Amino acid sequence: MTGAAAPSGPVAATYLDGVSAARQAVTIEPTGDLRTLTITLADGSVVLWPFDRLREITGGSDRARLTLALSAAEDDETGRDAARLVVTDPAAVAWFRQKVTTLDTRDIRAGTGRRVALWLGGAVAAIVLMLFVILPAMADYMAAHLPMEAETALGATVMKQVAAMAGDGSGRDLVCRNPQGLAALARLQDRLAAGAGIDQPISLSVFDSEMVNAFAAPGGQVVIFRGLLDEATSADEVAGVLAHEIGHVAARDPTRIALRSAGSAGILALILGDVSGGTTIALAGEYLLTNSYTREAEAAADGFALGLLASTGISSAGMADFFEKIAKDTDSMPEMMSSHPLSLARAQAARIHAAGQGPTEPALTDADWQALKAICN
Amino acid sequence: MTETSSSAVSARYTGLKGPLFRLAIVNGFLTILTLGIYRFWAKTRVRKFIWSSVDLGGDRPEYTGTGLEKFLGFLVAVVVLAVYLGLIQILLFYFGLHFVFEPQTEAEIVMQGAVFYISLFAVLPLILFARYRSRRYLMARTRFLGIRFGMEKNAWGYVWRALAHGALTVATLGILLPRQTFWLEKYKTDRTWYGDQPFVQGGKWTGLYRAMRHLFIGAAILFAAAPAIAIVMTMQGKSGESAATVAVPVALVGGLWAVFGYLYYRVHSFRYLTAHKSLVGDMAFRAEPRTGRIIGIYLIGALLVGAIVAVAFAFAFGVAGATIASAGSSGAAPGILGVVVIALVYLGILTLAGALILVFIVQPVFAHIVGTLTIFNPGALAEVRQRAYDAGADAEGFADALDVGGAI
Repeated sequence: MTGAAAPSGPVAATYLDGVSAARQAVTIEPTGDLRTLTITLADGSVVLWPFDRLREITGGSDRARLTLALSAAEDDETGRDAARLVVTDPAAVAWFRQKVTTLDTRDIRAGTGRRVALWLGGAVAAIVLMLFVILPAMADYMAAHLPMEAETALGATVMKQVAAMAGDGSGRDLVCRNPQGLAALARLQDRLAAGAGIDQPISLSVFDSEMVNAFAAPGGQVVIFRGLLDEATSADEVAGVLAHEIGHVAARDPTRIALRSAGSAGILALILGDVSGGTTIALAGEYLLTNSYTREAEAAADGFALGLLASTGISSAGMADFFEKIAKDTDSMPEMMSSHPLSLARAQAARIHAAGQGPTEPALTDADWQALKAICN
Repeated sequence: MTETSSSAVSARYTGLKGPLFRLAIVNGFLTILTLGIYRFWAKTRVRKFIWSSVDLGGDRPEYTGTGLEKFLGFLVAVVVLAVYLGLIQILLFYFGLHFVFEPQTEAEIVMQGAVFYISLFAVLPLILFARYRSRRYLMARTRFLGIRFGMEKNAWGYVWRALAHGALTVATLGILLPRQTFWLEKYKTDRTWYGDQPFVQGGKWTGLYRAMRHLFIGAAILFAAAPAIAIVMTMQGKSGESAATVAVPVALVGGLWAVFGYLYYRVHSFRYLTAHKSLVGDMAFRAEPRTGRIIGIYLIGALLVGAIVAVAFAFAFGVAGATIASAGSSGAAPGILGVVVIALVYLGILTLAGALILVFIVQPVFAHIVGTLTIFNPGALAEVRQRAYDAGADAEGFADALDVGGAI
C-alpha cells in the first residue's frame, strides 16, 4: 500500500453526539471492507458511520485537526447530521484525507438552482418595477400636482446650484444684462412662448460661461450659456436649442427627473452594498440610470421642438446645423453612457423636418441677432 | 473541555496571519470578479477560519453559516429596502417642496435641509433591527461541542428600546450611557441560548460608571477649559491671541483624553458585562482585554497598513501611468482605457487594504480578547442539550444592505 498506511488497531478520537454537549472519548476503526467506520463509545456501545456519507467540516484554520460529520437530508443550513467526530491522531488524519475520497464532496440540496433562480428573478423584477415603473409614475403624478410656487422655488434652488458650478468661484452674478441683448432675447421668448401653447410661463436668460450648453430648470426657467451663442452662426440655431428646452418645460421634465432621482438615489448603492469599491460602481450605475431617464425625455423634447419650430415658422435647418456642429464633440461617447441621443441622428431628423417645412422667417432680425450675441458685454 | 483539568479553562486564539491574508486576498479578487456577489461566501469563509481558531480547552467552535443563505437573505432585504426607501425618499422630497418655498433665512435653509435628509432617520430603526437580526443569525450559526447557540426573535423589541435609550443618552449629554449599554446588552444576552440553556446577564447598570471615569475626565477638561481661560484672560488682561495659545493645547489634551476615555469605556464595560454573565448554574466568564493593548494594535496596525498601501499605490500608479501613456501614444482612446485602469487599480488597492486591516488589526484585536477569556466550571456544559434549528430569517441580509455590523 502506498501513501498513508491504514492505522493499525483502534485510534482515539472525540465524539460529540449532537444531542448533548458532553464530549465522549471514543476509539475508531474502519471495518475490514473499508466501507464503514466503527465508533466505539466509552460504555462499549458502537456507532457505525458509512464511509460514503463521511464528510469533512471544511474551512477550519487547523489542518492537523479533522472534524467529520455524516451527510444527511437534515432540514438545516448544513445538510449534515449534528454529530461530530474530531480526529487529531496525525496518521489517522492523513489516512482519512487520502483514502476517503468523499470527504470534500459538496452535497447540494435538490432544487437549489431553481430556488436561487426564482429568488434572483423575483428580486430583479421587483427592483426594475420600482425604478422604471413605480417611481417614474409617482414622479409624473407628483410633478403634475406640484403647486407652481413650489416648482418655482425648486427652480430657484437649481439655478443657484448651476450658477455656482458654472461660475469661476468668485460668486459674481452670471446673468448677462446688456439692454439691447435682453430686448432681443425677450422678442425671441415671446415668439417661441406664443407658439408653445403651454400654461407655464417661460423665462429665458443667458449665463456668462464658456460652456456650449443650455438647460431647463423647474418652474419654466430656461438658461443658455454664452458659449452656445458664440458657437451658433444664426439665430435659428439658438431658436432650435431653445425650442428643445421649452419641450422639457412643457413635459415638466426637470421636476419629474428631480423627483425620480430623489426616489432612486441610494437604491443602487444599497444593492452593491459593502463591497470593495461598491460606491464607485454604484455611482457609475446611478449615472447610467439617470441618463436612461433623460434620453427618452430628450427624444420627446426634440419632437416637441420640431413642432414648435413649425408652428412659429422658424426653419429647423438651424437646429440641424447646430447638432452637426456639436456632433464631433459629443458622439465620441457610446449612446448608453450619454444623457442625450447621438447628435448626428438628431441633426438628420431636424434636416428631414426642414425639407418638409413651408415658408419660414428667420428667428430674429440681423440686428437683434447681433445684439443677442453681445448680451454679455 | 478536559474534565481532568481544574474547574477553569483559558481560551487561546491560534489563527495565523499568512493563511488569513491569503484567504482575504483570494476573497477580495473573487468579489471584484463577481461584481460583489462573492462577498457572502467570502464573509462565510473568514468566519469559519476565525471561529475554528478559537481554542476552548481543546474544543473549537464551528461556524455553520453558508454563503448561499446570506445571498438569498440579501435579495429579500434589498427588495424590502428599495421599496421602503424609494417611497420614503420621493414622498419626503415632494412634501419638502410644499413645506418650504424659497428659503429666505438661515433657519429656513436648515429646515429645508432637514426635510431632505430626514430619510436618514427613516433608516435608523432598520439599522437597529438589522443589528439584532445579525446577532441572532450569528448565534444560530455557531455551534460548540456540536450544540447550537441561538437567540429569540425579538428584533422590534430591541429597536424601540434602543431608540428610547439612545434618545435618553443624548438628552442627558451621555451621562446615562451606562444605562443604555447595560440594558441593551441585558436585552440581548437574556435572549441568547446555548442549546437548551439561557444566558443570564447579571450586574447593575450603575456598575458601569467605573468604566466611564476617563470619559468624564476628558469631558471635564474640555468643559473646564473654556471658562478657566476666560477668567485668566480677564484677570490678567491678556490678549485673545495668548489665550488661544493656552486654549488650543488644553482642548487637544481634553479631546484626546475623551477619545481614550471612550475606548476605555468600551473595553471596561465589556469586561464588566462579561464578568456578570452566567450559563447553566455556576458557569461564569471572565474576559480582561486591556485598552492600552488594543490602542497599540490599532496604531501599529494602521502604520503598517498605511505604509504597505502607500508603497503598493505608488507602484500601481507608476505602472498604470505608463500603460495609459503608451496606449495614448499608440493612438488608442486613452479616455476609456484610463478610466478602466484607474478603476482596477483602485479596486485592487481597496482589496489589499481590506486584507491587511483584517490581518493586522481585526484578527489581533480578536486574538487579544480571546486570549484573556477564562471560563469557570465548564464541566456544567455536559448537561446542555441540543436546540432546534433556526432558519435565521434574512441571514444578515438587512445588515449587509445597510452596511451595519462588525468587522467580521
